[in-house]
Amino acid sequence: MNIDVKAVGLGADSSDDEDAPEEVTFEKAKADAVRSMRNALDTIKRDKELLKEKRRKRQELFQQQKKRKLLSEDVLEEIELAYTKKRKTLDSEEQEKESEEDESSEDEDEVVNARLKDSYKAVRLKDQIDANARQESASDFIRSRLYGPGTNRTTTNHMLSLKNKTGMNKTAAVQFVDKNWGSEKKGEAEKFKKRWIQNQNMITN
Amino acid sequence: MVEFKVHRVRFFDYMPSGIRCMAFHSKADRLALARLDGSVEIINFSNNYFQEKVIPGNDSRSIEAICWVGCDRLFTAGLNGEIVEFDLERLCPKYTLDAFGGPIWTAACNSEETHFAFGCEDGSVKLFEILPDKIQFERNLDRQKGRILSLSWHKSGTLIAAGSLDVIRVFDVKSGHSVQRILVDKGPAGTHNKDCVVWNVAFLSDYTIVSGDSVGKVQIWDANKGTLIKTHLVSKWDVLSLSVSENEDSIVAGTSEGTVVQFQLLSPTIGDTETQWIRTRTFKHHTHDVRAVTETKTAVVSGGLDTQLVICSLLDKVEVKPSESVLRKVIFPHRTLVSCAKKPGLLLFQFPDQLELWRLGGTDTVGKPGESLPVTRKPEKLLQLKRKGDDHICCSTISECGQWIAYSTVTSIRLYQLQCESNNISITKVSKLPKVLRSAHQLQFSADSSKLFVASEQATIHVISLSRSECKHVHTFKPKSGSSAPVHLLAASADGQWLTSANRHCEINVYNLKKLKHHCMLPVYNSLPSAMAIHPETNNLLIAHADQQIFEFSTVDKQYTDWSRKLHKEGFHKCRIKWHTPITHITFNPSAPSQVMLHDTYMFCIIDQSLPLDGLKAQFYSQLTPKDMSETDRPSKTNAFKMCTKYQPLLHVNVLEDDWLVVVERPLIDIHSQLPAPVRQKKFGT
Repeated sequence: MNIDVKAVGLGADSSDDEDAPEEVTFEKAKADAVRSMRNALDTIKRDKELLKEKRRKRQELFQQQKKRKLLSEDVLEEIELAYTKKRKTLDSEEQEKESEEDESSEDEDEVVNARLKDSYKAVRLKDQIDANARQESASDFIRSRLYGPGTNRTTTNHMLSLKNKTGMNKTAAVQFVDKNWGSEKKGEAEKFKKRWIQNQNMITN
Repeated sequence: MVEFKVHRVRFFDYMPSGIRCMAFHSKADRLALARLDGSVEIINFSNNYFQEKVIPGNDSRSIEAICWVGCDRLFTAGLNGEIVEFDLERLCPKYTLDAFGGPIWTAACNSEETHFAFGCEDGSVKLFEILPDKIQFERNLDRQKGRILSLSWHKSGTLIAAGSLDVIRVFDVKSGHSVQRILVDKGPAGTHNKDCVVWNVAFLSDYTIVSGDSVGKVQIWDANKGTLIKTHLVSKWDVLSLSVSENEDSIVAGTSEGTVVQFQLLSPTIGDTETQWIRTRTFKHHTHDVRAVTETKTAVVSGGLDTQLVICSLLDKVEVKPSESVLRKVIFPHRTLVSCAKKPGLLLFQFPDQLELWRLGGTDTVGKPGESLPVTRKPEKLLQLKRKGDDHICCSTISECGQWIAYSTVTSIRLYQLQCESNNISITKVSKLPKVLRSAHQLQFSADSSKLFVASEQATIHVISLSRSECKHVHTFKPKSGSSAPVHLLAASADGQWLTSANRHCEINVYNLKKLKHHCMLPVYNSLPSAMAIHPETNNLLIAHADQQIFEFSTVDKQYTDWSRKLHKEGFHKCRIKWHTPITHITFNPSAPSQVMLHDTYMFCIIDQSLPLDGLKAQFYSQLTPKDMSETDRPSKTNAFKMCTKYQPLLHVNVLEDDWLVVVERPLIDIHSQLPAPVRQKKFGT
């Protein structure tokens, strides 16, 4: 059903509030809505594609950097070849040695073995390192329980000074009674005094 | 009348090591003590608490637990994961065994002495079987999650209590499974973020477990039900050591603050049969952490990081002499660590890891008695000789002329030749020593520095002749009785004719060096000899024993001298009763041959053998200004004994020529200044 849209311009041209709103056809509205939706979808698609591009570019950049870091494939192949060759030669050498030893007399072997037993002992280095690490951790445990945080330890100076102050004849703290104590602090105090006197002299001059 | 000028030496930085654990053997009356540097000492309680044997430590050895098996086998285990059995005759480790469980924290032997249990870092309790000549791994008990820090066998040998972090577990030995799990609470709020470490457990025969932990509680648990019977909060800091007496009526606990607390099984009301553990005594003899306590029948023995061994008699148990009820502190070693080369005025100091050679200073002024003179030539350190290897130095000596130095560890002996011109020192090691020399318990140079006497670890004495080109083994002396006890004292006569040795079985042998054979053996006196010297002129042997007795023996006549018999008839001076430390050195005055000088840690005294011995029981005073006394007073005041307590604590006293005396002191405060940090204790008003 066609509804004719006529601009009803009766009377005054000025649009009055009392006038009826402009009529918009259904089709036009539909077209508008569809257009706007399409625009939105397009922008989303575009954004996605842009992101994709960015990611791809970044990936390529990383790969190039990695390639630059690693040696070229040729060099790697050469190295691998060399390694396998070395292994093969070692094995063959060992086999040769073993065959030689078998050939030599038994007496010599025994003597050699006996000598080796007394003065040398084969120890796996990894075991020793493990044992040391465990011993370290055990001594760390006990050190932290006895002297670590929360144990409230003080210095010998403090303890002996307390004894001096609470004893029968009350004397001063140990660093003042015995001249050898607290030498660091006394040294620092001396330096401070010298600096202060120097400053005072400079101010007055 | 004697007057001396004194070199007062305080530059020997002797630093003892803290006590880590101890084990008392009641039948043998001996205490085995392990220190933080890996050394083990054996203290003989019946011999006036004399330090009988010292096994030197090792840098790689750390000891966490020590245990007696029988009277003569000693085992230790430490953080390096090794179990060590010590040879008490040769004073060295017999063998070491790796437990393969990581660091070992604790060890305990069952009451039948058939099995050993070790608590390891990986949470397993390992059982070892004790065989006559070694120990052998038997099996593991069930492995737990936390490290096992303390162990205790039940008297029956069927259950073991193991203390760990926050938990005490009871294992059934036969099956190896944990039959009871007791959770230890972490104490009052504020300490909740740290685990509660159960440092000690003790399993009593009535199936109660006593535990000491890091929060400061001593708790008593019922092992069958797994419940808490009683808690005693003993300190704010850790309870580091716990020990139960043999008849299980008394428990002693040592804390980080240095207090030792005793609990006794008493009934709270008189006449009541039901008994409880009640806290009775508190002892405050230590300034630093008490890491080891044990209890004997009459005393509480404690030792800790302040390096002193304190033996406190429980007065209600002491029956015998009043002198036994006194508090004893073993602070300094019972042997001398200083050797003196008298002619050039050199002192050799023995440290566990090095030797230091010092030249004495001098003064050019003359003063009045009692005055201290200004030092014009300062004492200088000539040489610092570091040892090779991990084993600590066990003995060292310097010759009289100052040209030879020798020291020994448990694995090797080294001899050095020293050339000391006015300002240059050069030292050369003598590389080719006779093969017979492996390790020594005592070293001594002859008076003319031509021979070195080595008391080897096989209880024999080797005589090595010294010369610039080579050292030859001349002879080996074997003890007449064939005893294998280690020799700990050697003395050589000034004329080079006699050599005497004293061993740990209290045997004293005299050898003739000119004829190279055994001369005679002294009658055995039950107390260990602590110092020995041969008179330069009369060749009489003077011996001081651990129980403060002094004997004089004539080597020529092969019998005790008249003076010695007189001394014992009169009885020793009553001041001697106060001496608690053994006499560690005897020497003679070169300018007055009748004077004998001996010293212990707190005094040195001069005995004039020419003066009469009567009047010993009368009081005497140490004479400071003899010249000031009038002529008539002097004869009545002369006494054979003259004692001086002005210099303490003494490590060595020796007489040089021209009436000079060398006194090596080690003030306790200097030792204290280098101890590890103590716990802060809040005192009212400070």
